[in-house]
Amino acid sequence: MKQVRKQYLVSLGLSVLIAMLLGAALMLLTGHNPIEAYGIMFSGALGSMTDLGDTLYKSTQLAITGLATAVASQSGIFNVGGEGQMYLGALASAWLGALLKGTSPWLAIPACLCIAGLAGALWALIPALLKVKLKINEVITTILMNTIALKFCSYMSNGPLKTTERGINQGTQSISKAFRFASIDLFSGSNLTTAVVLIVFIILLVWYMMNRTTTGFEMKLTGQNESFARFSGLSAARLAVLGMLISGAMCGLLGMFETFGVQRRFRMDFSSEFYFDGMLVAMIMQYKPLGIVLMSFFFGILMTGGQRMQYIGVSSELVEIIQSFIIFLMAAESGLLGKVSRALTGGAAKKQEVKT
Amino acid sequence: MDLGAIFNLSTLMNTINTATIVVLAGLGCLMTDQAGMMCIGIDGMMTAGAFAAVIGSWLCSSWIMGLVFALAVGLLLGGFYGLFVIRYKSDEFIIGVALNIFAVAITTFLLRSIPGQSGSFHPATGAVVKLPSFSIAGSNVSIMVPLSWLLVALTWLLVYRTPLGFWLHASGEHPESLRSVGRSPERMKYLGSLACGLFCGLSGAYLSLGYLSTFTENMSASQGYVAVACVIFGRSNPVYVFLAALLFGFIDAAGQRMQGIVDPTLTATFPYIGTILMMVILAVRYTAMKKKRA
Repeated sequence: MKQVRKQYLVSLGLSVLIAMLLGAALMLLTGHNPIEAYGIMFSGALGSMTDLGDTLYKSTQLAITGLATAVASQSGIFNVGGEGQMYLGALASAWLGALLKGTSPWLAIPACLCIAGLAGALWALIPALLKVKLKINEVITTILMNTIALKFCSYMSNGPLKTTERGINQGTQSISKAFRFASIDLFSGSNLTTAVVLIVFIILLVWYMMNRTTTGFEMKLTGQNESFARFSGLSAARLAVLGMLISGAMCGLLGMFETFGVQRRFRMDFSSEFYFDGMLVAMIMQYKPLGIVLMSFFFGILMTGGQRMQYIGVSSELVEIIQSFIIFLMAAESGLLGKVSRALTGGAAKKQEVKT
Repeated sequence: MDLGAIFNLSTLMNTINTATIVVLAGLGCLMTDQAGMMCIGIDGMMTAGAFAAVIGSWLCSSWIMGLVFALAVGLLLGGFYGLFVIRYKSDEFIIGVALNIFAVAITTFLLRSIPGQSGSFHPATGAVVKLPSFSIAGSNVSIMVPLSWLLVALTWLLVYRTPLGFWLHASGEHPESLRSVGRSPERMKYLGSLACGLFCGLSGAYLSLGYLSTFTENMSASQGYVAVACVIFGRSNPVYVFLAALLFGFIDAAGQRMQGIVDPTLTATFPYIGTILMMVILAVRYTAMKKKRA
C-alpha cells in the first residue's frame, strides 16, 4: 500500500514537471521567455503579503470546488454543474441580502448562507434525481444546466434585479456594509476576506465527513466499487442524491462568499469558470480530500502568478493548459509514466507484489 | 402571438443552420459511441477545429485550406483521445472533460499570442475566406448543409449496411468475438475516434467559416454537449440523431423569433431546456416500455 502511494506521488511529481516543461515549450514557441515567465509567476504569487493573500484566496476557492467535485464523485455521481450552482447561490443570496438591508447581520448573514446553499443544492438535485430515477447521464444534464443557470442569472441581474445605484451599470444592488465579509489587515490589498474562515470550516467539515463518518465510508465503497457496495446493502441511489446535494450546497455557498466578499454585489463576471479549475484539481488528485487541499495550494500559486504573466504577454490560459497536461499524464499513468516511477521507487514494488 | 411570425422561412433557415453544427458533431460522437467509448470531448474538438479553420483560411486565403486545417486538427485530437482511452485505458469521461478544457485554453492562449487579437479573431475584413454558399429563396445556405445531409446518409449506410459498421459496433459490444474472427477491436476503436475527430473538425469549420469568418473564445458554447445528448436521444442511429438535432435547431430558432415577446437572454435557454426535456421524455418512455415487458 505504501509502495503504491509512493509510486503515485513520484508519478505526480513527474507529471507536474513534464507539464510545466511543455508549458515552457509552448511559451518558447510563441516567443516568450519561459524562465522569466515562471519567475514572474512564482514571485507574483508569493512575493508579498498581498500576493500571498491572493494566492490563499485562490487556493481556498480551488479546494472548496475541488472537494465539491470529490464529494459527488465519491458518491458515484459526477457534478460538472458546479458553475451554475455557484451562480444561483450568488444570485439568491444577493437578492435576499438586498431585501434584508437594514436588519441585523446576525439575522441576515445566516439567512443568506441558507438560501445560497439551498439554491445550489436544489439546482444540483434535479440532475441527481434524473440520474437516479431515469438513468439520464448526469454529465450532460449538469453541463446543459450550467448554461441555463448562467443565462437566467444574466437575465435577472440585467433585468428585474438590476441595481438602481447611479454610476453602476452592471450587477444587482450592492450588499450593505454591515453584511460584507471584511478584508484582512495582514493581507491588505488582496482578495482574501474573512469568508476564508467559513471556507476552511466547510473544508474541515467535508474532510471529516468523508474520512471519519459512516456516510463517508459508504461513499468510499460506492465510489470504488459500485457492485460491491450494492451487494453489501448500501443504497447507491440515496448516496448519489446526498453527495450531489452536499456538492451543490458547497458551490452555492462559494457563490455567496464571493458576492458578500470580493464583489460586494452579484456581478455576472464574478467567476471565470472557478468550478472547472477546482474540478481539474480533484481529478488530478483522484478525489482524495487531503490531496485536493494540498494541490489546491500549488495551483493557487500557478493561477495567481499566472495572472501576472499577462504583463509580459503570456496569456493566463497557460495555467489551464498545464493543468490539463497533468491530467492527461496522470490518466495515462499506467502506461506513460508508470514504468519510470516504478523504476524510481525501486524494483521492490514488483517483488512485494509477488510475495503478498 | 402570431404563429406565422414564428414558422416562416427564416426560422427554417435558422433551424437548419444551428442543426448542422450539432448534426456534424453528433455524427462524430456516434462513431465513438458505436465503438463503445462515447466521447464527451467533442465540444473541445469542435472548438479546436473552428480555430484551426479560421487560421488555415487566414494564412492561405483559401477556404479549402481552412477545411484541411480543421480536419487535420480533428484527426489529431481524435487520435489523441483514442490513444489515451484505448492504449492507456484511461477513463473516457475524464479524458473527454480534460480535452474540452484543454481545447478552450489552448485556442484562447494561441489567439492571444497573435498580436492584437483577444476575445475574438478580427483581422482585416476579407482576409479570412468563408466556406462557399449558394442562395435559395433569397437566403444563403452553406455547402456544409447539404454535405451534412449526405454524411448522415453515408454514416447510416456505413453503420448498418457494411461489414465495417458491424465490426465497429462489435468492437464496443463484443470485442472478444471480433478478435476471434481475426479482427482487432483496438483498430476499430481507433477508426471510430479518428472518424469522430474528422466530423468534429467539419463541425468546427462550419462554426467559424460557415456564415461568419471569425473565431471567438469558447466558440462552441456547449453545443458539443447538446450533440452528445442528441446521440443518446437518437440511440446512436444517424437518422434519429439528425432528427434530434433538427428539433434542437428548431427550438433555438423559434426562441430567436420570440425575442420580441420574451427577453432574448431567456429565449437562449430554451434549446438547452428542450434538450433536457427530450432526454427525460425518452427515459420515461424507455422505463415504461421495460415495465410493460417485465
